[in-house]
Amino acid sequence: MDFDDDMILDQGPAVTITEAGDNFVNFALQKVDLSFANSLRRVIMAEIPIMAIDLVEIEVNSSVLPDEFLCHRLGLIPLVSKNCTEDVEYTRECDCDQYCSRCSVTLSLHAKCTSNEIMKVYAADLLVDHDRANPWVGTPVITDAEGKGTVICKLRNGQELRMKCIAKKGIGKEHAKWAPVAAVGFEYDPHNKLKHTDLWFEKSIAEEWPASKHAEWEEPAQEGERFDPDAEPDKYYFEVEGVGNLAPDQIIHEGIKVLQTKLATILNALGETKEDAGERFLPDDDVDMGGRNDFDNGYTTPGYNGPSYGNHGRATPYGATPYGQSGY
Amino acid sequence: MGPKKKAPPNSASAAGPSSSEKPSARKPTEAPKASNAPKKARARASRVEDEGPREDDGFAALLEPFYGGKSLTDPIKTAEDKWNLLPAFLKVKGLVKQHIDSFNYFVEHEMMDIVMANKRVTSDVDSDFFLEYTNVHVGTPERLDYSDRKPLHEITPNECRLRDMTYAAPILVDFRYRKGKQISLRSNVPIARMPIMLRSSKCRLSGKNDRQMAHMNECALDPGGYFIVNGTEKVILVQEQLSKNRVIVEADVKKGIVSASVTSSTHERKSKGYVIMKKEKIYLQHNILTEPVPIVIVLKAMGIPSDNEILLLVAGIEDKYQDEFAVNFEEATKLGIFSQYQALDYIGTKVKMGVRNRAPGAPPQRRNTLADALEALSNIIITHVPVHGMDFRPKALYICFMVRRVLMAMGDPKLVDDRDYVGNKRLELAGQLLALLFEDLFKKFNTDLKMNIDKVLKKPNRTAAFDAYNHMLSHGNGITAGMNRAISTGNWSVKRFKMERAGVTHVLSRLSFISALGMMTRISSQFEKTRKVSGPRALQPSQFGMLCPSDTPEGEACGLVKNLALMTHITTNDEEEPIRQHVFFLGTEDITKCSGREIYEPGAYVVYINGTPLALSREPKKFLNAFRNLRRTGRVSEFVSIYINHHTNSVHIAADEGRICRPLIVVEKRKSKVTKRYLESLRKGIMDFDDFLYRGLIEYVDVNEENDSNIALYENEIDATTTHLEIEPFTILGAVAGLIPYPHHNQSPRNTYQCAMGKQAIGTIAYNQFSRIDTLLYLMVYPQQPMVKTRTIELIHYDKLPAGQNATVAVMSFSGYDIEDALVLNKASCDRGFGRCQVFRKYATQLRRYPNGVSDGIGGIEYDEKDPTRPITKHTILGSDGIARVGEKVSAGDTYIAKRVPLNTTSTGIGSDFGTDAYKPAPMTYKLPDYSYIDKVMVSQIENENMVVKVQTRQTRRPELGDKFSSRHGQKGVVGIIVNQEDMPFADSGVTPDIIMNPHGFPSRMTVGKMLECLSGKAGVLNGTLEYGTAFGGSNVDVMGQILIDKGFSYSGKDFVTSGITGESLPAYIFFGPIYYQKLKHMVQDKMHSRARGPRAILTRQPTEGRSRDGGLRLGEMERDCLIAYGASQLLLERLMLSSDAHQVDICEVCGLMGYQGYCQTCKTTKGVTTMTMPYAAKLLVQELLSMNVSVRLKLEDEFPHEGRKR
Repeated sequence: MDFDDDMILDQGPAVTITEAGDNFVNFALQKVDLSFANSLRRVIMAEIPIMAIDLVEIEVNSSVLPDEFLCHRLGLIPLVSKNCTEDVEYTRECDCDQYCSRCSVTLSLHAKCTSNEIMKVYAADLLVDHDRANPWVGTPVITDAEGKGTVICKLRNGQELRMKCIAKKGIGKEHAKWAPVAAVGFEYDPHNKLKHTDLWFEKSIAEEWPASKHAEWEEPAQEGERFDPDAEPDKYYFEVEGVGNLAPDQIIHEGIKVLQTKLATILNALGETKEDAGERFLPDDDVDMGGRNDFDNGYTTPGYNGPSYGNHGRATPYGATPYGQSGY
Repeated sequence: MGPKKKAPPNSASAAGPSSSEKPSARKPTEAPKASNAPKKARARASRVEDEGPREDDGFAALLEPFYGGKSLTDPIKTAEDKWNLLPAFLKVKGLVKQHIDSFNYFVEHEMMDIVMANKRVTSDVDSDFFLEYTNVHVGTPERLDYSDRKPLHEITPNECRLRDMTYAAPILVDFRYRKGKQISLRSNVPIARMPIMLRSSKCRLSGKNDRQMAHMNECALDPGGYFIVNGTEKVILVQEQLSKNRVIVEADVKKGIVSASVTSSTHERKSKGYVIMKKEKIYLQHNILTEPVPIVIVLKAMGIPSDNEILLLVAGIEDKYQDEFAVNFEEATKLGIFSQYQALDYIGTKVKMGVRNRAPGAPPQRRNTLADALEALSNIIITHVPVHGMDFRPKALYICFMVRRVLMAMGDPKLVDDRDYVGNKRLELAGQLLALLFEDLFKKFNTDLKMNIDKVLKKPNRTAAFDAYNHMLSHGNGITAGMNRAISTGNWSVKRFKMERAGVTHVLSRLSFISALGMMTRISSQFEKTRKVSGPRALQPSQFGMLCPSDTPEGEACGLVKNLALMTHITTNDEEEPIRQHVFFLGTEDITKCSGREIYEPGAYVVYINGTPLALSREPKKFLNAFRNLRRTGRVSEFVSIYINHHTNSVHIAADEGRICRPLIVVEKRKSKVTKRYLESLRKGIMDFDDFLYRGLIEYVDVNEENDSNIALYENEIDATTTHLEIEPFTILGAVAGLIPYPHHNQSPRNTYQCAMGKQAIGTIAYNQFSRIDTLLYLMVYPQQPMVKTRTIELIHYDKLPAGQNATVAVMSFSGYDIEDALVLNKASCDRGFGRCQVFRKYATQLRRYPNGVSDGIGGIEYDEKDPTRPITKHTILGSDGIARVGEKVSAGDTYIAKRVPLNTTSTGIGSDFGTDAYKPAPMTYKLPDYSYIDKVMVSQIENENMVVKVQTRQTRRPELGDKFSSRHGQKGVVGIIVNQEDMPFADSGVTPDIIMNPHGFPSRMTVGKMLECLSGKAGVLNGTLEYGTAFGGSNVDVMGQILIDKGFSYSGKDFVTSGITGESLPAYIFFGPIYYQKLKHMVQDKMHSRARGPRAILTRQPTEGRSRDGGLRLGEMERDCLIAYGASQLLLERLMLSSDAHQVDICEVCGLMGYQGYCQTCKTTKGVTTMTMPYAAKLLVQELLSMNVSVRLKLEDEFPHEGRKR
């Protein structure tokens, strides 16, 4: 995504970066309307594809934590996802049988405690398979000073972990482990000039409500200034702090890209002739919300169907019960 | 795995049969793949080693008293820091000290008393023979199956839980007896096995440190106080009763009856005597008397012949009482009774003596009325006042004082006693109940022994010298079995007292740590639940500080089941004799030597000991203080209480068991005796709680004495009349109510609701939760200690074993899916582990052994017909031993134990009686609709030599719609919707709430404490501290507001919030902050149920009932009424008959009876037989009536007659 300089000089949106660091960026977005700014926020939180461990093949787990517990912890470990939008395929769209190096990264974990001291297993102990889409993708994010990363588990003498973790690409809507940010700070109109909020106070607003940190970026309402009921918000303060999977600038870029793709799909569909428009409104893979392909007209809740229910959420066949084929 | 393999104590909890062949558990479903990890793992191996020395795991600190983050050098202010006494108290006493103290008293003292009271066994046949117990003691718990081959006979409680055994220790006696011509001694002979209370002095856990406890697979924080019988944990609940051997005056206003009653209880007998005033005349009433006996006659019979003396003893010199009593003399005169002889004779005719003393076969004795009367008066009526050598004076005085109380209550209704007053109640604990049972069983043991000995001695010639020792050993099972049965069923039957009580014991609830703890402090009342009386259920002012005002169930047991407060202690029995001597040393006169004139002299006070008059004091105040000083200096037991009653001019000393008491700081001369200096030494560990007690700085005060004291709540409230100072006000709450932050700001029922819900919260059970195999176990995956704690939380270590999580809550309405207390959950929070819990279930089976030597077995995996290398689908998860492998996923229909039973269990194997050696499969099949994983497998042997196989399954659940959550303020709600994070409203920092709670929950519930919790929690989060919400204290709201302001937030706890859907800021400010939420055990997955078709009940052919039987949903009476009113007749027909139990019957139109196959058996014809559909239940009713000789004839009629057919 490259911005044309003249676009900014033009009436188009403007971005002012106020502060930036290794994993955060604070900026003000100007000259867009509220819905656009909010969509950007939402897309950043929910729809930027990144990598996370999704499948764990456990060979040995003699730790005190049960398998599901460990799997859940592994899933939440942030993995570097640089360029994964381009370089990594969604597993469901890949040609391979189960998973392959183009749609996944394999991390293996083998730890055994052999001393009498309690051993901690860290994210850094995950070994990334070199056969992967690009040289960065899938490496656990490690930010602490010791370079160990998150604790996965503690082991006692004789306990052992041996497992193979398959990291896949996904989006935050499906599971929070695929969210590149934990939260996005978002604010506009720090002086409440638009009166979107009714400030509750006992004696004085100024005394009781601490000013927002963005207050100094805008002029407060002047004494005797008339309230303009038609005014629209126009400057939005973002605080984007990444988990570490993506650099903050990448997060924004990716967010805009996802938003663009979504809009393009709609535009594309609207541009079609009326006859085939009906078909095109069926959810396409790109716009499909959950990224799940097995839509069944909404009769099942994604992710909630235990395979024990047999036939994956379709109606119970005649003569069977929802609990299996037990005849009476 | 051979049947010989027995799980040793430690390995039983490990991963079962084959931890080496642990299969892969996959997520979601994938084939296991060989790993290429090992070679890479080596690269890392070196790093593991350079970890520093093992850090302190914090275990040791847990058992240390907690001083709230204060270090040794911090300044001490007595006013604020006197609560330090509380952890010191709990360190000495522990949380369930009542149970443990009571049990210790039983095994260490009372058991000896019982044995000594029944120590001699003699023979009717050989008068020379005797057997005499000289000593008894209880050993330490050991294995029943221990022998020389298995030298490890020490048993741990957890082994008993896992192996379904009883945690019991042998009762060992020493005795001497006559063997032939000489007297032999035997010592340490086991006569029975006594179930041992955990953490009592006989328990293996007593005095062990946390590391040793961990080694025994036991939780260091487990309170103990329960028993393990056949593998189940049983609690003997504290029983509440009216006090024994105390006079209670009651009045029935309607009937004009005033009565003084006393329940006399001794080791032999328990009976109730009344002194009753009816129609202005006073009588003595007792079960043994056929009718009430005039009181004057009783007193005359007891050796007070003079009317004047009676009058003086009863009424004193006051005219008022004399006039009132005078009528009673007339009655005696009318009956012509003047002397003791006449009185005894009269009473003798009224005594129901039954045939007590008659020898079997002997002719009915002629009744000796005199002897009967003497027997009744001395041994049966008011038995607890002993009569020595026909000296009836103490008992006569006792009755006189009862009469006096009646006379006084007649004049002043205020002097009627309150049965609900806690001081008139006694709590019966495990030790006392076991003592009752043990005495009964021991007596039976002795009579059985005597019978057996008699049987042998009766035989004229014996080959060897008779040795009673063999008999002792041979029939010791009665006591053991009796104890075990009583504890495991809860049926307490003591023949001596004709006591038959059910539901004394309960299974210890292990739902959460708090539920187990709450159970240990529970008190159940003997009062009937069904009666609609408010008195016993109401909150009593006298329970202040003793019983928790909040913790009681709702509904029928409300107010009858109570809980102890935090510092309550229940007394055990203290000996009377030393106290008696002290009383006399303090300058009092023996009451039996006093005349009525002296007793009722102004300023004279009667000193009672345990309700029995003992002495007369003319300087009661001085006596009182002197006696209290004796107690404070430790000359008298600290649990002896003394109080003065100015209404009845009496001083009462109580030393009996079951009184509720609590420690208070002594105040003398306007000064609290606990000073800064003492608190410093307490903190340094130089002094402990007992030192405070022995120095007279604090003392135990029971309810009656508390009523006679002036207790200051805080040090600044001390004035000239103050006698005591409260240690800490929050101790009026119990352990369970102590979890609530700021409870003093809540509407009181909300605290009660939380007390009920805190016990259902999923969290942690104990440190050994993973080495237990419980029937049902709920655990939380990521429990957190609450942001807003209380002192109680720290004292009971709820912060170490929490049950809940700190959720960020926004109080606002959202989406409409939050009405009626429903909650909105953040999906991302659930993804990250909020509210995630594990459910463990136990499936156990015993492998029985049959009389002919065959036994049940495991094995017999069936293989696929086409591919004999693969097991059939149902058996895929089975290992080679026939038990499911650990880690396998088990779904509905899968077999997890391939058990099989022999077809032939009766053949003897003698001669040709062999029978088949085939087995029939009896597999254990998984039946739940939702899958689980196998978590543990245990194979072991139980006490009856049978093998037991236990399989534990595990489910991990994330929150879903309909799961129940609650905060700590009685505010429960179900999940109404789970919302994506980007749709959630957020504060300007971008923080999204975990839970959105509807603000309508606040106005009517008035749970201000919840708001304060949120505020303090928010301040704590921002400040990096844990805040306190202790009752009557806690973090100050103003301080919290200031912290919020300093951190750039509004002091009110409200935040500026933006809508996640539109991006617009919300018009209102939102109350936003962390609140501790508990996940309750009620989860949709366990309740969800529907049915289209399914099983039917055999008898009625109607659909079965209940989810577990895949039953139908009932269209009940009220629903039926709706349909009738609406007129939906076809729907009614369908619901009530067609979809239920429609049945075709052949009915003969001629006789109206039922036929079959178109033929009427009655009319012997097929003519006029028609078929009709009717409910099977109706058909059944007709037939059942027929079987009772009621003929039911059905007359059929066409509702819509058609042309072709005419009748």
